[in-house]
Amino acid sequence: MKQRTQEELIYINKTAKIPYKWRTGEVWGEFFRELKENGIIYANECPTCGRKFCLPKSVCTRDHTRCTDRSKWIPVGPKGTVVSYFMAEQSFLLPTTGEMLKIPFAVGIILLDGATVIMQHQLEETDESKIKIFMRVEAVIKPKEERKGNIFDIVHFKTITE
Amino acid sequence: MANRVAIVGIGQTTHSGRRPYVNDGELIYDAATKALEDAGLTINDMEAVMAGNMDFFEGHHLNDAMLNLYSGAAGRPGFKMNTGGTVGTMTAIQGWYHIASGLYDLVLVIGWEKHDEGLVTPAISTITDPAVDRHFLVGAIGGLATVSVAYMQRSGCKLEHAAMVRANSSQAAHRNPNAHMREIYSVEDVMNARMVMYPLNLLMCCPTSLGATAMVLASESKAKKICKKPVWMKDHVTVHVEYGGAQFGIGEKRWTSHMEAGARLFKRNHITKPMVETQVFEMYDPFAFAIPMWLEDFLVCEPNEGWKHVEKGDLKLEGSYPVSPSGGVLCTNSIGDSAILRVAEAALQVRGDGGEHQVTREVKQALASGFGGSYWSDLLLLSKTMD
Repeated sequence: MKQRTQEELIYINKTAKIPYKWRTGEVWGEFFRELKENGIIYANECPTCGRKFCLPKSVCTRDHTRCTDRSKWIPVGPKGTVVSYFMAEQSFLLPTTGEMLKIPFAVGIILLDGATVIMQHQLEETDESKIKIFMRVEAVIKPKEERKGNIFDIVHFKTITE
Repeated sequence: MANRVAIVGIGQTTHSGRRPYVNDGELIYDAATKALEDAGLTINDMEAVMAGNMDFFEGHHLNDAMLNLYSGAAGRPGFKMNTGGTVGTMTAIQGWYHIASGLYDLVLVIGWEKHDEGLVTPAISTITDPAVDRHFLVGAIGGLATVSVAYMQRSGCKLEHAAMVRANSSQAAHRNPNAHMREIYSVEDVMNARMVMYPLNLLMCCPTSLGATAMVLASESKAKKICKKPVWMKDHVTVHVEYGGAQFGIGEKRWTSHMEAGARLFKRNHITKPMVETQVFEMYDPFAFAIPMWLEDFLVCEPNEGWKHVEKGDLKLEGSYPVSPSGGVLCTNSIGDSAILRVAEAALQVRGDGGEHQVTREVKQALASGFGGSYWSDLLLLSKTMD
């Protein structure tokens, strides 16, 4: 009992739950609308350096150029190449949901066909020995009625052979 | 023209995973007092106090108040830094600005963190945008695991080399009484550790520690008057690059904040052979691949040569180019304190006050770095002499 009293004096245990509302902005808003309504993944282009961003960018970091010209958007993927990856074998708390990460969890750094800048997303393959750099993958997009206009409208990327 | 700035006082707490009877303020007091004692000064001599701490990790946002209460900063000007992995180097650099500008002669800088009070990985995940990639980062470990895989792919570095790095770090930390993880590990021990995120296993990731480091910085005239062994903050570079893919060098030219920092610092100081002209590097090395990979990225060694230096034993405490002789972030990681500790440890090496972990090579110039996951690098050049 003595021990417990002392513990209570030196620790205060609290779990905080704080609601947030994050804005996606003009460009990601349009990207998610296309993904939700038409199931198409779009890249946009920097008018100065010509880099093709997927996920799209509002401003090119290097040229400080606005990249909002909608007529310059091009559909990319859904196939792409794995440039790097990690495989989580230990679970961690996810700050966005408050849930624990379901393991094993593999994430690929993926260059979609037609884009020049990488994105990252979940890989379907969770056997580390089967994940290879430069392996080909394809986005699995949810059926239209299940899409919500967020990044999880892409379920994951499945390995393909060509 | 900036005025010259020297480190004239260094203090750090011991580092550990848990210290149940100590709160943040008490850590600050401990480190600040030690730095002031080392300088032979009191808080009343300080004209400004800079604080560095990642408040989000412990879920409090009153670290400026902690600074006032416990360091003696009340009534003095100061800033708090909250820049992730670079907190500590930025705090030291803020001190530098205030003296280099001619505003003040004596500034106290303090960095601290107390990771036993919160969860680091979910907090670090929030450096990415919740709309697009936060779910796919999984803290610093996820991001650093992907760059490790890419480094192995392009350079020929193997998992065993990362294990050698960690084994070396453990040997160094064992000789550092203030380090957190002081156990000695063999290459085999490291290889057999539990996998966290491929390719990084538990021992290849830095621990979560608590601790604080403080330094007293002084202007040239003050330093010469009050200090027998001033360490000059000769130059420093702070660089940001865009968050994203350029570091993989696929689809576009490879480009990282470390590459930019090294290029600028060495050019400005006419350093053409960093491994000769600087004699030790206290690197912010939060994962085992960092030392070989980032020696290359900082342009300290040639591309794809980093892991070969590991293999040859060059980077050990008694090697030809010791890296992180304190045991580095790999053995002690209290984030708001980690990067200022690199500067402090590099300064101790320049002074020759490294004690049991003093490198065998004579140190005239030293490098210290900080790194933030939001692609932010700090690289500092310390020197025994002013020029």
